Amino acid sequence: MQLDTAFMWTTFLDVLHGIPTTLKLTIITLLLSSPIGFFMALSKSSGWGIARRIITVYVSFIRGTPVVLQILFLYSLLPTTLNYIIRNVLGLSFNIFRTDPIIYAYIVFTLNTTAVLSEVFRSALSTVPAGQLEAALSIGLNARQAYVRIILPQALTAALPNLCNASVNLLKSTSLAFMMTVKDVTAIAKIDASFGYNYLEAYLVIFFVYILLCSLVQLLFHLLEHALSSYKNTAAQRHEKNAASAYRRHMASAR
Amino acid sequence: MRPFHPAYILEVLPQLIPYLLVTAEMVIGTVFFGSLFGLLLAAAKIRKRKVGAALANLYIYLTRCVPSIVLLFIVYYGLPEFLLWFGININDASKGFFVITTFSILFSANMAEGFRSAYEAIDKGQREAAVSIGLTEFQAFRRIVLPQCIRVVIPNFTNSLISLMKEGSLAYTIGLIDIMGKGQLIIGQNQGSYSLEVYLALFLLYWALTILVEKGFGALELQLSRGRNGQVYTEVRKCS
Amino acid sequence: MLEVKNVQKSFGANHVLRGVDLKVEKGDIIVILGPSGSGKTTLLRCLNFLERADQGTMDFDEIHTDLKTASKSTVNQVRKKTAFVFQNYSLFQNKTALENVMEGLVIARKVPKKEAEIIAKKTLDKVGLSERYDYYPSQLSGGQQQRVGIARAIAVNPDVLLFDEPTSALDPELVGEVLNVMKNLAREGATMIVVTHEMTFAQQVASRVIFMDGGVVVEEGSPREIFTRPKEERTSQFLHRVLRDDYEYNI
Repeated sequence: MQLDTAFMWTTFLDVLHGIPTTLKLTIITLLLSSPIGFFMALSKSSGWGIARRIITVYVSFIRGTPVVLQILFLYSLLPTTLNYIIRNVLGLSFNIFRTDPIIYAYIVFTLNTTAVLSEVFRSALSTVPAGQLEAALSIGLNARQAYVRIILPQALTAALPNLCNASVNLLKSTSLAFMMTVKDVTAIAKIDASFGYNYLEAYLVIFFVYILLCSLVQLLFHLLEHALSSYKNTAAQRHEKNAASAYRRHMASAR
Repeated sequence: MRPFHPAYILEVLPQLIPYLLVTAEMVIGTVFFGSLFGLLLAAAKIRKRKVGAALANLYIYLTRCVPSIVLLFIVYYGLPEFLLWFGININDASKGFFVITTFSILFSANMAEGFRSAYEAIDKGQREAAVSIGLTEFQAFRRIVLPQCIRVVIPNFTNSLISLMKEGSLAYTIGLIDIMGKGQLIIGQNQGSYSLEVYLALFLLYWALTILVEKGFGALELQLSRGRNGQVYTEVRKCS
Repeated sequence: MLEVKNVQKSFGANHVLRGVDLKVEKGDIIVILGPSGSGKTTLLRCLNFLERADQGTMDFDEIHTDLKTASKSTVNQVRKKTAFVFQNYSLFQNKTALENVMEGLVIARKVPKKEAEIIAKKTLDKVGLSERYDYYPSQLSGGQQQRVGIARAIAVNPDVLLFDEPTSALDPELVGEVLNVMKNLAREGATMIVVTHEMTFAQQVASRVIFMDGGVVVEEGSPREIFTRPKEERTSQFLHRVLRDDYEYNI
């Protein structure tokens, strides 16, 4: 097995130009879908009949079908449909086919990630004991204050590990953006590889790049977790300290 | 606006359905090899021998970071050359071989975590109680620990299985003709028209498969949960 | 009938058992007392090979073995002659009360299923659980679970019953029902080794009391001797502390 290392190096340098696109796809999608996902989770748990049913079906559908299929479908549906709406309904002479295809990527990934995050937030909300809301209301906070000040901070901390997972999965899914002609990391590597049929080398290079990017995401979440869960840590540390001193006392008395 | 013919969805479905068999073969093969390897990885982690556990962790970490499509291409283009190095020629291997290899790598990493946490979720006292009344270690594992592990591992297994089915749809990119591949063929034969209808038909099939898997394993879990949280479960059933 | 000599066991740097001897005759009710960390639970677990001792020998009827190097089949033989009742019950979560009791009969001792079921039911009746055959552990109270635990242990008709703090995980109001079952067993002539903090039980039921501290047996004798005229300073200190707590608790 002979790897063309010179090719790998130039591909690596080329691929670096795709990193901003990959990150942009990931971050903007997360920013768009987090609030929507959160409100979906809230309205699902607060139980508003029809909304709840629609959300359930939506989440089930998105989570039940492959991302690649969602991409293919929307990418063959959206441009012509949007074009039709702009020209015939709105009467504008704006050419949708000339816009950056990354728009479609944002739409697809946001639709997908929103469904995932709504489940993440729902389970996170359910980890906060009902007593917390009752206690907040009992000292005179209104419902909004209770959610913002008491429930949300706790739910967010509980959601972090799953949020991290969802972000990593999203980052990996963006590798399919090349199907919508978006020039992300994978697309650039594919183009480089196609000149000399150096597919193996090109994919090994982006394997490495994705490891770096994933590690970055996980590191960020790790730091965030550390910062956010400070209230938990102190409690845990105190507990640990108590346990340790109890153990020492116990050992001393055993001797 | 492109033309849309809902009736074509019904027309294309019967053409796709026979290829569910290919999808099923891919899934079953992957579950088999992936679970076996996942068990080995979990055992390496549980044993806590330094080198083995570190290797297992590294493998799981790397696997978690790689997009399925990237791994699929690495295996498809790289594995034959790699094995040729050892004098093994698999250039004639079927597409299915590469697909199952790729997804077994991903599935095993998923399941390794599931197996390990299931094993650790079972109280150590269960094994002790079993051997204390005279069961052998193997009997204690087979009759007491394992059944409880299986119950705990089901949700994780279901998730991994569903994500395998969905990610498995990427196999068409290396030319495997499963339902997805057949769908692409049909679109190609029609020069791109009817693509929406074919995709919708595929949506329906994948969605149905997912729901089927979810419901099936949900029922199995409920069945195996006899004995744990007995009251809780009956209450849940009453509510829904 | 059962005798162990010079049992030693360390966990890392922590020397838990420092050479313990114990002799049990048929029909003995031996209660082991001592502060937590004194090694009494570890000793009990070594008797059933749930813990491998680092040193020591065992003579158990026809079995003569080294505790450290005992072979798999010897371990199994010993386990079949003994039964263990756990502090946290450790009932098989995936099996009903009846199945819990039958398991050791059917699987370990190859008793036919029908026969095992009869024995298991009889045993559960004995501990007052004839209404609970088909309940899963999660559906039983702590006291009921521990009584199933005892039934599981006595169903296999062991030569020696080992109790590891059988009541310390129970709510105070449930302790009585478990102690009563144990008293009945004692009355029927069962051989028992009991690690417990229940002083009244020790005073009323024990044929011999062993006081352990720091990994050694400090003192042993009849309940009367130990409770009224302890020879060792450590024993009387411990009893003072515990009995005073009991006294205050009762007020």
